[in-house]
Amino acid sequence: MTARERADRLAGLAFVSPALLALAALTVYPGLWVLWLSLQQRVPIFGIARFVGLEHYAFLAGDARFWNAGRVTLVFTAVSVGLELALGLAVALALQRQRAGRRLALSLLLLAWALPSVVTAKLFEWLYHPSAGLVNVILGGHAFNWLGDPRLALPGLIAADVWRTMPFVALLCYARLLTIAPEVYEAARVDGAGRGATLAYVTLPLLRPILLIALLFRTLDALRAFDLMFVLTGGGPASTTETLTVYAYRSLFQTLQLGFGAAVGCVIFALVMLVAWAYLRALRGEAATA
Amino acid sequence: MRGAALVLAALVALAGCTEPPRGAAPATIVFKHAKILGPLDPIPGLLREFERRNPGVTVRSEPLTWTSDEQHQFYVINLDGATPAFDVLLLDLIWVPEFAQAGWLLDLSPWVTRGELAPHFPAAAAASVWNGRVWGLPWNMNVGVLYYRADLLAKYHLAPPRTWEELVEQAQRIRAGERDPKLDGVLWQGKQYEGLVVNVLEHFWASGTALLDEHDRVLPEPERAAAALGFMRGLLESGVSPAWVTAGDEELTRRPFGDGRAVFLRSWPYAMDLFEAAGSPVRGRVGIAPLPGHVAGAAGVGATGGFHLAVNRRTRHAEAAVALVRFLAGAEGQRAITAAGVALYPTRVDLYRDPAAVAAHPHMPRFHALALVARPRPVTPYYLMLSTTVQPEFSAALVGVKTPAQAVSYARRRLEYMLSGLR
Repeated sequence: MTARERADRLAGLAFVSPALLALAALTVYPGLWVLWLSLQQRVPIFGIARFVGLEHYAFLAGDARFWNAGRVTLVFTAVSVGLELALGLAVALALQRQRAGRRLALSLLLLAWALPSVVTAKLFEWLYHPSAGLVNVILGGHAFNWLGDPRLALPGLIAADVWRTMPFVALLCYARLLTIAPEVYEAARVDGAGRGATLAYVTLPLLRPILLIALLFRTLDALRAFDLMFVLTGGGPASTTETLTVYAYRSLFQTLQLGFGAAVGCVIFALVMLVAWAYLRALRGEAATA
Repeated sequence: MRGAALVLAALVALAGCTEPPRGAAPATIVFKHAKILGPLDPIPGLLREFERRNPGVTVRSEPLTWTSDEQHQFYVINLDGATPAFDVLLLDLIWVPEFAQAGWLLDLSPWVTRGELAPHFPAAAAASVWNGRVWGLPWNMNVGVLYYRADLLAKYHLAPPRTWEELVEQAQRIRAGERDPKLDGVLWQGKQYEGLVVNVLEHFWASGTALLDEHDRVLPEPERAAAALGFMRGLLESGVSPAWVTAGDEELTRRPFGDGRAVFLRSWPYAMDLFEAAGSPVRGRVGIAPLPGHVAGAAGVGATGGFHLAVNRRTRHAEAAVALVRFLAGAEGQRAITAAGVALYPTRVDLYRDPAAVAAHPHMPRFHALALVARPRPVTPYYLMLSTTVQPEFSAALVGVKTPAQAVSYARRRLEYMLSGLR
């Protein structure tokens, strides 16, 4: 390394250090503190603070409520993100072809995305109302018990989440579609590609990186899903919609078992980091081949 | 110095004087409270009146969001952080022992004698006392009651049911006679949340058992508890209660009854103001009765809810803060919440016979007898832990994911583990 290179590197470090320090102060320090907290039995209202090592994790390993919350979180994430990507892509492609009313369609999409999630939840509370709700009326007057039936509650929440966040995927894809040069499509047509072939061999490969980014964002968001279930079902019925974050919130803020709640929080953190790491690897591979 | 102040305060209290010492240094105290819903907020007027009577004291009121969970979270974070940023707080009565145990509340015993609690309903007063000390004063009261369609019961020559079994029979008879598929039997709160625990507790009590007995044992009689849950499940299976009750909270159940689509409803007093409002389809057709008991159990009794007033232990103006609490919980402070347009019910017994209050809320005397025998939820610092642990189990029993016996046995084991870490 030449002296010039070394100086550049030092200057670079100096420039990023404020950001790194801020990041460390705001995330690394509290993160380590939560990890330390998770190794203690800490219940401030009883003045209890003692080191218990991995006891909370051992309890979680055999805790049916915890495993159920983990399963709910994974099912919710996989199904809602899958649907959001598929529908978002379809909507983006439809928008690309649409001639009239595109502006209106975009505004409507943005509206669903921009609503605060608690408002969305309250909206769906009435849409799902068994006797007065629009959903059951549209379905032909059936009295489906959307939020109170253990088989329907999670699908109901997934549908609400898809409604709310599909626009995010659609807008990302649509933005990328706008940047694809018309010449690419012309070339495909000249080569004799039909609609299906153009989609499969031209559009989708070009959308791949943006889809991966949407997938990353949406997965990380869905793994931490909280507000919809908290407002709509409170995690019920029978905890069929209780995600890990709802479980952590109940342990931490409602029952004030700080150590135990921190342990649940650490598990969520590990899960999210694992998924983020896997995606970032995939993205890096993508960048290398592109 | 502090000791002298306490002695002085005790002397003041003994003398029966509710005013703080005159000529105290100017103080600004901050009052944190839940946002008051409804057309009329009585708080600003009360605070101005308090300031008028206490020259030199200014009160700033800072409303919190109205969801109970967010208020709890706000208080926990700030009180645990020992903030002096607010002096007086309005808190859900189930948090009083918890906050007192945590050392976050000022012990009001030097100021407030037990005698000062006497004018309040016993169930409300009980929730203010923990470990033999007074930690707060009650401000408003809720009690679980049974609403019934007086016109329908009269049509079939029925008296309000005294047992749940009788209620089921009446609901079936009326629904069969009315032949209206949109008319439900009885509505109650079965969503997985605090309201479900309240409803289950009332069935436990009506079955002669409890969630926590006087020796601090959890679910001391599992068979009776399971039977009570089984009865609630039966209401859903027989169709006397619609299946959606398993997702119903107060408002979701209050509305259909208010639209005339149910014979019975278990709810709180606030609902009556809405049933009797101009334009309500059930206006003049709703009756109020005590909650039913169970045939082989005990008489029915409603659970209590409501807000209490307490003082932050870190306050820098203890005298003024205590004076504000006593003023708001006193006869005048509570009379203000009986005004027309306020959907809050006071905890002071005599107001339920007060001509002005009764003129504004004609049904108030009916609540009097029910509130007198009402019962608080377990008064313990780990109530929230109890409640959040049993909520999923009770819900599982209602929707049939677990049998009532399984739900009760799992709830017991889990609670014993949780509590063993605390005792």
